[in-house]
Amino acid sequence: MTLGKWISIGVGLITTLLVGGVLVAAPNQLVATIGSTALGTWVTAGVMGALLGLLHWIVMSKFDREVGRVASQIDLLSKDDDREVAIPSRLGMGSIARAVNQVITTFRQRIRQLTSRRRELEIQLRIAEVEQRHAASILNTISDAVIVTDPFNELAMINDAAARVLHLDASFARRRPIEQVIDDTVIVKLIKDAREGVAARPGFRRQIEHRFNREGVDQIYDVSVSGISDGLGEDELSAGTAKPNGQDAVGVVTVLRNVTRERQIADMKSDFVSSVSHELRTPLSSIKAYVEMLVDGEAHDEQTRLEFYNIIQGETNRLSRLIDNILNISRIESGVVRASREQVSLPTLMREAIDVMLPQARSKGIELKDLSAPGYFHVFADKDMIYQATLNLVSNAIKYTPEGGTVTVKIRADELARGVEVSVADTGVGIPPDDVPRLFAKFYRVDNHKRMAQGTGLGLNLVKQIIETVHGGKVSVSSELGKGSTFTYTLPLADGN
Amino acid sequence: MSSSKPLIVIVDDETHILHVVSLKLRNAGFEVITAQNGEEGFDAIAQHRPDLVITDYQMPVMSGLEMCTRLKAEPVTANIRAIMLTARGFSISAEALEQTNIQAVLSKPFSPREVLTKVQEMVLGTVDKTEAI
Repeated sequence: MTLGKWISIGVGLITTLLVGGVLVAAPNQLVATIGSTALGTWVTAGVMGALLGLLHWIVMSKFDREVGRVASQIDLLSKDDDREVAIPSRLGMGSIARAVNQVITTFRQRIRQLTSRRRELEIQLRIAEVEQRHAASILNTISDAVIVTDPFNELAMINDAAARVLHLDASFARRRPIEQVIDDTVIVKLIKDAREGVAARPGFRRQIEHRFNREGVDQIYDVSVSGISDGLGEDELSAGTAKPNGQDAVGVVTVLRNVTRERQIADMKSDFVSSVSHELRTPLSSIKAYVEMLVDGEAHDEQTRLEFYNIIQGETNRLSRLIDNILNISRIESGVVRASREQVSLPTLMREAIDVMLPQARSKGIELKDLSAPGYFHVFADKDMIYQATLNLVSNAIKYTPEGGTVTVKIRADELARGVEVSVADTGVGIPPDDVPRLFAKFYRVDNHKRMAQGTGLGLNLVKQIIETVHGGKVSVSSELGKGSTFTYTLPLADGN
Repeated sequence: MSSSKPLIVIVDDETHILHVVSLKLRNAGFEVITAQNGEEGFDAIAQHRPDLVITDYQMPVMSGLEMCTRLKAEPVTANIRAIMLTARGFSISAEALEQTNIQAVLSKPFSPREVLTKVQEMVLGTVDKTEAI
């Protein structure tokens, strides 16, 4: 028996008792006609109570069923997004169902809106993550060191290059005060000053040159600090931190560019200009002085005048050779030069070079020996250029060999490479091992050599350009300090050797 | 005026320069001794104590500047004045010059006439001064 049925029986009994009690206590005409006795009255009340209990039971069962239906439909709503509560027409349940439907519709709309907003945010988050990764990897591909600091002078971001340059651990350093992580008072002060500068004037920028000593080597950095106002992004600057004094958040971007190599090149160029100008001025000085002497009639006899003419001619040739050397290098480098190739006999060419250098060798008491193997040794090459390269090597050997030394030239076949090998060996001062790798660089001169003889630092570079760039050969050097050096070049043999 | 010819030491690694300056000065009545680098020059000057030195700057073994610095440091040669003849005048600092007795720097290419004028000016001054003492 359900609770509803007990209530219905209760309603029947209570009705019987109430109706019976009323009728017994106050009988009247109507009751008298139905039953004149008290028993009759109670029977009548009992029938009415039973009828009313039955009626109540019928109505309640119906109501229960309707409520049950609505409840089961609401239950189903959670399983199906689109379902609505069917509107029952009986027992006034329609209005309840409509109200439920309305609430459900409102909530569903809200949920849909929130879901779509959430998806949007998720996508934005993913894009932001990708962008952040891009930015980080872009920042890391930059070879310059980049340091970003926040308004509190703490590290916000640094790239790999900065971590390397400043010797710090990027993951450890983040969000720490710069003075704790950057072991360089100049940089720390520069960033702090910039922070102050930015607060006073957005767009603040300063640039200095700064030297670091890294592993015993002085490195020159161009350091620039620039202020950024809000541009760093809210995520970076104000995450978890209030803006100071309600002002706009500002940070500082510091970029350190290693300019050591540039400075070296600039120094080399300036050295070059200075030595070229010296080299050009020297023959020019002679020409100018001797011409003036002739004009002033200081050469008193024909023989002196003839001597002067010859000196002027010789110095003019020297000047033009020097200019040719400089121009040849720049022509070869820019690819303008055209080699006019022909069959060249290396032994013949070597004899010419030796003949030209013999007076210089003799004046220093240097023996000039030719120990070439017998043979034709023809190469298909630009004769003037190969002559120039050979002459440069022989001239260098004499220049850097003390008096009484020996310079030995050798030409021999290099069967393996199907080429011919020309070597010039001296008993000179030799080349310090540290200088060997840079020996063929333009304008480079070994420090000790500068004291021994003048030069532009162009001769060996020209040899390398002529042999390797123009003729596809190979130049090499072996040297022992204090014992001497051997320069060797190899060229492919011409067909028919 | 002293009856003997004033003595000039010329130091340059370029023989043509030595030759032309020597001839110009000899023609003008000077006695000339030449040397080809700073070391040779220093020895010649210490030995002959000339009235004036004319020297190149950039030379092998010892530069003209180094030679003049050493000359001033030696009591025997400390008062011998010099003219520097150089293609690199701009690269000598005033501080470096103060350590020497270099009184004039003439740049190459130079005019033998100007060199002679400068030498006469300075040597006559030297001679007068010597006589005054």
